[in-house]
Amino acid sequence: MKWSLPALAALLLFYPFILTGPFYWDIGVAFLLAAISASAWNIVGGYAGQVSVGHSMFFGVGAYTPLLFYHLWGLPPVAGVPAGMLVSLALAVAIGMPTFRLQGHYFSMATIAVAELIRIFVGTWDLVGAAIGLQGPAVGRAWWDLTFRSELPYYYIFLAVLAVVLYTTFEVERSRFGYYLRAIKAGERAARSLGVPVRATKLKALMLSAVFTSVAGSLYSIKTGFIDPESGFGILVSVQMVIVAALGGAATLFGPLIGALLLVPLQTATNTWFGGGGSGLTYILYGGIIVLLARFEPGGMHEWWQHVAPRLMRRSHAA
Amino acid sequence: MRTASATMAAALAAAAILMSCPPADAAGTVKIGILWPLTGNAAAAGQASKAAAEVAADIVNNKHPELADLPLAATEGLPNQGGAKLELTFVDHQGNPSLAQQLATRLITQDAVHVLLGAYQSSCSFTATAVAERYGIPFMVGESAALNITGRGFKWVFRSTPIASDYAATYMRFFDDLKKEGKKIASIAVVNENTDYGTSVADSIEVAAKKNNLPVAIRIPYSASSTDVTAQVLQLKEKQPDVVIFISYTSDSILYMKAMKNLDYMPPMVIGDDTGFSDPSFIPAVADIAQGAMNRSAWDIGKPGSTTYKINEMYKAKTGRDLDDTSGRNMQGFLVLADALNRAGSTEPEKIRDALAKTDLKPEQLMMGYNGVKFDATGQNTLASTYLIQLRDKQYQLVWPEKAATTKLDWPMKGWKQ
Repeated sequence: MKWSLPALAALLLFYPFILTGPFYWDIGVAFLLAAISASAWNIVGGYAGQVSVGHSMFFGVGAYTPLLFYHLWGLPPVAGVPAGMLVSLALAVAIGMPTFRLQGHYFSMATIAVAELIRIFVGTWDLVGAAIGLQGPAVGRAWWDLTFRSELPYYYIFLAVLAVVLYTTFEVERSRFGYYLRAIKAGERAARSLGVPVRATKLKALMLSAVFTSVAGSLYSIKTGFIDPESGFGILVSVQMVIVAALGGAATLFGPLIGALLLVPLQTATNTWFGGGGSGLTYILYGGIIVLLARFEPGGMHEWWQHVAPRLMRRSHAA
Repeated sequence: MRTASATMAAALAAAAILMSCPPADAAGTVKIGILWPLTGNAAAAGQASKAAAEVAADIVNNKHPELADLPLAATEGLPNQGGAKLELTFVDHQGNPSLAQQLATRLITQDAVHVLLGAYQSSCSFTATAVAERYGIPFMVGESAALNITGRGFKWVFRSTPIASDYAATYMRFFDDLKKEGKKIASIAVVNENTDYGTSVADSIEVAAKKNNLPVAIRIPYSASSTDVTAQVLQLKEKQPDVVIFISYTSDSILYMKAMKNLDYMPPMVIGDDTGFSDPSFIPAVADIAQGAMNRSAWDIGKPGSTTYKINEMYKAKTGRDLDDTSGRNMQGFLVLADALNRAGSTEPEKIRDALAKTDLKPEQLMMGYNGVKFDATGQNTLASTYLIQLRDKQYQLVWPEKAATTKLDWPMKGWKQ
């Protein structure tokens, strides 16, 4: 099994040459984006066990700022990325301070409420295009507009960001901070009694998570060249992050990646096969699989594999 | 962690199997890729438009001498392309702009379609047309109202439908005609749902009214999911405008009519901007309290025996419902595209684009009430226009412009006082 990590890295690196063509690359990009967002969510939602269903607020902020920079001042969208990160950071502090007093479902509900408020507010704010949204440069003026005809450059940009997010998560996992997070997840009161600075740790996790989610949003809007309140701040954006992470295995390093690897091709395939018929079969199949997974393996695919792999190993040794 | 990456290798294999779906190919056909929301919020409009496009394909692909007014109806397939048939590939973008972008890529690169049609929601038209522009594939926008879908300097995007500014101009011309007849239009009110559709139409009306020195007494944006609109109706009641224009979706427009009855407020005229007022459920719900309410539509079923009547019969046989304005405009977009494909005489993108740019269809060659189809340099149809219709009993009747009208305008509206 030593081969599996390098093999995985190689697969991701060479995927565009294995499945060639813009459509497959585009699916690759969609997969990477889902993996980045879910990994970002995983830091606070998985490791710290604070299930936020309002992460679209950070995604949306990150998505809006690049196109806003372009819209207002004609700057290359990428210039808005750091601004998005800063705003998300500030938002994380402003939201985290009051909401982290809440626990469990109440915290989730509060995050939904805040994200919805922001969505409605943005939808009526003329400066950011109100309900109609903002557009990026339709045809890039130069390479720094990051408006490529091919999906290939996006694939490698997204892959690089994913690598950074995963490496950071890996470091967090091994650090004292990471142990604090897991202690909080296991029991907040117990953690506090052992001297874990609960509030500060949760806030730090949310800030880190918010910054990465914001970057995911920026990547989305730069690549799509369009953002409106629904695709930036809509509740489905948040829900997708939760589903991807939970499906693959929350609070594990590669869980979100596995979730995205299953979910994105599944979405694409069901839409390709049944979408044109307009029967809604896409959703039925997609929803059905999620229900099955939730019923039989709530720990995600990662846990399922850990049950199955040793048995497979034993059998192959016996044979 | 090792097991994790092994899980992933297994998942990757599964993913690869899921994604390998072979593209279909057939000779002697011209392929049209169509992007509409077939599921989600706007599924009803997408599904109805899909049925309309299938009727349109039937008209082009088979002999329909009874519809000889329409280009390509009498013949089989596209005569200039050796009788090639149109092959439609529908995709469902679910109203998601990012998915619309991905599907446009798929239609162009995997399915190798020759032209694209779509995408209903303006947000999805924005992203899907940008893909077509990058690949140099002609894209016909059948019905998306946002102003700047055309006019972004795109070379490959054409739009046959009237847009927000055309609707606003129509209302202003209608008011001018009324004033000439001596009716009092001192001020209007605009009530709009607050997402992209309502906002862009209301903005255009405000701009046009200002240009025509017509005071807008009040503009009321609201959320289409509201369950109570009493406050909004009371605001209207206080301002007493001569005309109230509603840019609303279905349940909210019904809600407004009911609230107005409950609060006993009836302005001289209510005009609905299509959409909610055209929804199949609007008339059964409020016909008896909204008598004389007006609506805009470029579609009119017409008299028995007319081309539009026959088209409606074909559509009805397929779906059991009358054709509506939205699907009608999409269907018209499809027919304009088919006409250009025929004149291009080739499936080369450049030739199709040139043929589209040279499109010059007369009103009698159209199924919709446009003044023709002729594209300007931005790709927008300069002859797009719309009718105004008025609710009588359980049906809308065409009342404006006068030269097309089948019934005389009733002013003021009767509402529930019959």
